[in-house]
Amino acid sequence: MSAINRPSAGTLDPPLSRDIVVVNPQGLHLRPATAFAKLARQFASSVAVCRDGQRANGKSQMELLMLAAESGARLTLEVEGPDAATALDPLADLLAAADASDD
Amino acid sequence: MRMSDFVVRDAIVPRLTATTKDGIVREIVNSLQAAGYFQASEAENIVRAILKREQLGSTGIGRGIAIPHTKHPGVDRLVGTVALAPAGVNFDSIDGEPVQVFVLLVSPQDRPGDHLRALENVVRSMREDSFVKSLREAQTTDEIWKLLDEPPGGWDR
Amino acid sequence: MDTRRGTPVSPGVAAGPVLLLDTEWFRISRRKLRTADVDAEIERFRTAMAAAATEARQEQQNIGKQLGRQYGAIFEAHAMLLEDPAMSGEIELQIRTDEYAAEYAVSRVIRRYAKAFQSVGSSMLAGRASDLFDLERRVIGCLLGDRREELKHLTAPVIVMAHDLTPSQAAQLDPSKVHAFVTEAGGRTSHTSILAAALEIPAVVGVGPFLEDVSGGDEAIVDGNHGLVILDPDDATRAQYESARKTYVSFERSLDELRDLPAETKDGVRITLLGNIEFPHEAAHAVAKGAEGIGLYRTEFLYLSRDSDPTEEEHYKAYCEVLSHLPAGVPLVVRTLDLGADKFNPRSEPVSEEQNPALGVRSVRLCLQNLPLFKTQLRAIFRAAVHGDIRILFPMITTMRELRRCKLLLKEVKEDLFEDGVPFAREVPIGTMVEVPAAAILAGPMAREVDYLSIGTNDLVQYTLAADRTNEHVAELYSAVDPAVLFLIQRVLDEGRKAGKKVNVCGEMSGEPFFAALLLGMGLRQFSVTPHSIPEVKRVIRSLTLTEAENIAREALLLETASEVMNYLRTQSRRLLPELEL
Repeated sequence: MSAINRPSAGTLDPPLSRDIVVVNPQGLHLRPATAFAKLARQFASSVAVCRDGQRANGKSQMELLMLAAESGARLTLEVEGPDAATALDPLADLLAAADASDD
Repeated sequence: MRMSDFVVRDAIVPRLTATTKDGIVREIVNSLQAAGYFQASEAENIVRAILKREQLGSTGIGRGIAIPHTKHPGVDRLVGTVALAPAGVNFDSIDGEPVQVFVLLVSPQDRPGDHLRALENVVRSMREDSFVKSLREAQTTDEIWKLLDEPPGGWDR
Repeated sequence: MDTRRGTPVSPGVAAGPVLLLDTEWFRISRRKLRTADVDAEIERFRTAMAAAATEARQEQQNIGKQLGRQYGAIFEAHAMLLEDPAMSGEIELQIRTDEYAAEYAVSRVIRRYAKAFQSVGSSMLAGRASDLFDLERRVIGCLLGDRREELKHLTAPVIVMAHDLTPSQAAQLDPSKVHAFVTEAGGRTSHTSILAAALEIPAVVGVGPFLEDVSGGDEAIVDGNHGLVILDPDDATRAQYESARKTYVSFERSLDELRDLPAETKDGVRITLLGNIEFPHEAAHAVAKGAEGIGLYRTEFLYLSRDSDPTEEEHYKAYCEVLSHLPAGVPLVVRTLDLGADKFNPRSEPVSEEQNPALGVRSVRLCLQNLPLFKTQLRAIFRAAVHGDIRILFPMITTMRELRRCKLLLKEVKEDLFEDGVPFAREVPIGTMVEVPAAAILAGPMAREVDYLSIGTNDLVQYTLAADRTNEHVAELYSAVDPAVLFLIQRVLDEGRKAGKKVNVCGEMSGEPFFAALLLGMGLRQFSVTPHSIPEVKRVIRSLTLTEAENIAREALLLETASEVMNYLRTQSRRLLPELEL
């Protein structure tokens, strides 16, 4: 499966990253992935979520889903771009919390 | 359903006097007319319809039984009667034997279900030898009526 | 290449592009675009995606209001998937570089994602595949708008694949365009299968879920002899099937050479072979295959795919048409309406919904509760019988009372016709189908009150073994050679002989070569089978002596399980009929 919207390189800001463990017992399923992509799309920076060398565009639920991140999976969040610093915390919180509440 | 549900008590003929097929049918129809279930002017039409039906094949089903019948607009519900001719009358029955027991039915034209159920009921009752035997031996309207009004036997319903 | 296995229900081999019918019956064609149209197609795709996303958001609102916000959230997720850059990017790429029509590109990409969801090994993801199919439907619905193409308007030959086809849907298939069909559900004796055999379209049913892996326009081979469906076949397989197809055609021709030879055993016992048909025009085909008459004309299709009950004139015309295809004096058995209230509801007097349709108001029961409907058909049969040797067959008779009620009704119908002065046949032979165990047990008295009996094995097996013949989970129980079924068939044959009445077997069982030898040995002298089985059954009959068949039957009836009987019959036919091995 080809990823069309890869985070573009070449900005001056260095990429920021953070390691996260999925805690939602159902993993990174449709609704948390949707919520995450929705938030990610609000930032100008590129957002990527990586797992075991597999890299997903954070603005695409489909690619996030394809990570098949079950509960306990270790993910790396990478944000790169002008608003990377502002984006990192809320995105990381959302990914870590992966709201278990809504099920 | 019992035969008493559609047989008109007042039209029962315990002793028929006619001795021909036409005469028998006419006598039974007249008795039914006298009981008030259709206009006097319709009687001859009904007789003709029943006799026409007989041309298709006798309703004499054998064992001394005949079930002449027709559908006719002159009645507004299914009516029938029972008539006996102890000496037996030639009715062109399928077994060639004379008939002693007649059940005559006239039903409206738009009630095929009632007609079928009544016919079925008569045919089934007539399958029971003991019933037919009692009927043949009956002398009066009351005795016949009592037989027709008995709850159906067996586990069939 | 991907091979799937199902139940072969109609022989023959066909290859061609797939026409996928989903539950909403729209078809997705693998149409190629002209290069100049690509931009417009991408625009059309984007508009449809936006419309689909709007629809999903609308649904989010509605459901959210009705059931609570969290239930609406799933549709928000759908809307966002529709706007997902990765997915729409891929679809646009397929439209641009492969020049696929938008419908096909959407179906292909979404199904590929769905397959990936299912194969990644995560139960969480696998469960989400159904959401993707929902999206596919929504987008394609938006793309097609009112332009959903219907089956009737097929222009090129296709292989139809669907989860299931109802008999009325199958009846709409045009055999000149539909070269094969495959369904996920269904069993050997579902009506759809019988119809496929009647139309002589190769068919495989009961394949189980597989449609998710297929896109409309994909190439496939359907092997109706072995129950195989080969998706996206490689060249070697294609070549192999092309030569197999040729062999099959010449085998069919060799059987056709039997056409003018009598159906008699080696020791000269003459057997009557009749054809089963669904449509009037098939009568000609049955005769061409060597049928000596029509042993079962199923009249259900007069009732299906229409908005009103058929008129007496329509019935009459259909029966006269069948007769027109038959040589003079050849028998035609017309079976009265045999549908359940689940498949057909009289427009005049609808039957309410039932918990258990197989045991409910169906077939002759339905007719006896709806006399005007029944009488309309019976009148037409009596009228048509003036022109040929028509016989009436009542299906699903269970009690003597029902049988007698039917006979009384026949009398009444004759009286009505007589009174109306309409020409009709006064003597029409009547028969009853033995397809309920009760009727088999009462075969003696039943035989005394009719002119002939006809054993309908399909329902007799279903009711004896209490197994729904279309339910793949109990299909294993359903066997025509189960000793309990054979016991009942033997009883009916014996009682028929005692009463001096002919007995016919008209279920699909009698068309199976293995079973034909057994039935012959059990005493059957009249078979009524799907026209294309006639030559093969004839060949079996001509390969045996009656003594050999009787020995087979005697041994088979001593066995205690269906699989023992089946194995025994296989061994015997290998020994006696080695040429049957194809």
